[in-house]
Amino acid sequence: MFNSKFMQSSRTQAVLLIGPALAVYATFAIWPMIEVVFLSFQQWNGLDPHREWVGLANYQYILTNDAVFWVALRNTITWTILAVIFPPTIGLLLALGLNQQLFGRVPMRAIYYLPVIIAPIAVATIWRWMYDPFFGLFNQVLTSLSLQSLISDWLGDREIALYSMFVAYTWQYVGFSMVLFLAGLQSVDRSLVEAARIDGASRWQVFRHVTLPALRVTLAIVLVLSTISSLKAFDIVYGMTGGGPAQSTQMLALWAFMQSMQIFDFGRGSAISVILLLVTLTIVVPYLRWSQRDEGAGE
Amino acid sequence: MTAIAPRREDDALQLKPRRDPFLIILWIILVTFALVWIAPVVLIAFTALKSNAEVMATSAFTPPQEIAWNNFSGAWARGNFETTFKNSVIITVIKVPLGLMFSAMAAYALARIRLRFGKLLLLFFLFGAMIPFQVMLAPIFTLLNGFGLIDTYPGVILPYLAFGVPYQVFILHGFFKAVPKELSEAALIDGASHVTVFRRIFLPISLPVLAALLILDFVSTWNEFAMALVLLQDRHMWTLPLGLMSFQGQFSTDYGQLNAAIAMTVFPAVLVYMIFQRYFVSGLTSGAVKG
Repeated sequence: MFNSKFMQSSRTQAVLLIGPALAVYATFAIWPMIEVVFLSFQQWNGLDPHREWVGLANYQYILTNDAVFWVALRNTITWTILAVIFPPTIGLLLALGLNQQLFGRVPMRAIYYLPVIIAPIAVATIWRWMYDPFFGLFNQVLTSLSLQSLISDWLGDREIALYSMFVAYTWQYVGFSMVLFLAGLQSVDRSLVEAARIDGASRWQVFRHVTLPALRVTLAIVLVLSTISSLKAFDIVYGMTGGGPAQSTQMLALWAFMQSMQIFDFGRGSAISVILLLVTLTIVVPYLRWSQRDEGAGE
Repeated sequence: MTAIAPRREDDALQLKPRRDPFLIILWIILVTFALVWIAPVVLIAFTALKSNAEVMATSAFTPPQEIAWNNFSGAWARGNFETTFKNSVIITVIKVPLGLMFSAMAAYALARIRLRFGKLLLLFFLFGAMIPFQVMLAPIFTLLNGFGLIDTYPGVILPYLAFGVPYQVFILHGFFKAVPKELSEAALIDGASHVTVFRRIFLPISLPVLAALLILDFVSTWNEFAMALVLLQDRHMWTLPLGLMSFQGQFSTDYGQLNAAIAMTVFPAVLVYMIFQRYFVSGLTSGAVKG
């Protein structure tokens, strides 16, 4: 179809167009990912020119001697499960509601989305203050409602600190799921919805048989993005509890950072990173295969 | 659960949707929920404008009686905002447009030029959009330290670019792929280069998507904390989130100023969102969630 000279030049142009993005991505994103695997087999303090190869010793230490690692792993899993259930469900309900012709739906969408724009570290600061056992909003409100028995040290109590933090996280990210679902709802065929309603289908039936199937792709995207963003929960933990009290809210991403950048044990920190990376890949790779197959079928 | 509650409707209600009791109940629930949702933001705004005495004396949701503007000037000076604000602006203003340009160029080439490894390359980029790079702070530090770029602007801008590119390429590729062939083919047959077609045809039509991506990227760059924490150790190079974290540590009991500091950190991102938000849902629809 095209002559060879044209192909030649279009290949050159492709290289020019893709080059900058590819170079910066490969150097500063992909290389660290490879490097972290190397680091996890070494013992290194981050400064010493000599890095000693120690094989699987870092992994062995983490899995057998590091009690905090197991707490962090359990917390990360709990957090991820909660993050895949709550923000997407609330986001979907809000999107369905705000997709109706309602008075003031545009400002309401903006309100629900507002926390997404706020820096996670600022969210941590705000909520930390609201959770303050003495001056915080929550305990003040409980006092004024005469519910003193419910007053808690929201972030200081090991039993509830993780969940208190998750409430702040939900407040921040519900709007994100909502916007994606709203975007997905635009692809729902309106005439189909109206036809079904005129034929006497209930709202639930319309949702179940028309809306939900049309949201299949959006649902997959939201769930995968929710999983990924929950695995990298870092700022909010760092800002609200720093992993405390007594490491009870520690998470893998933060623990990897602390091992490397605060305890200067790059080997163990990297081993934790690799484990978190493997967890991520078990979710991402099946999704990528599914989405590629889906695209292939569509063409 | 109300929004999807099973419910029978008769035809009379269909004709008068404004009086539909279902929608009225739904509206009440959504408004109540929205008030709860915005409460923390109102709390920040009110507290930022109250003196400490007033914070202690009044309840949290009482509007400020005497507006204490000096919370802002006080926080600005004590929190070293002049430096952190300047650094955040420089980093964001360079990173966001540059990143969008790199991503748009690559996405065009992957979507519209036949390449032997095109599909593989796209998958390679897509992979990056799925990996939480916060996980790899240590090797990122090691790499940038090796280049001697710790505590420099390029030292954060380069990794920011690298982590922004995959998602943007993914979204823009989806958009460019869906553009009808006729739009570009005539120009190409007339001898225009791909670079020209990209600049003259594809960039203009992708403005709504670019606006949506601009919001997302501006917000995430402005708010980025973890990588800045590792790569910017000198306080003269700190960005706003780092400055806020340190402010919280030092002056956490000065509630008026603390909330003024939060407001000043958050405000620019909110402003950019409000300016570009009308493109937001439409832009996302055309790229991310087609189907």
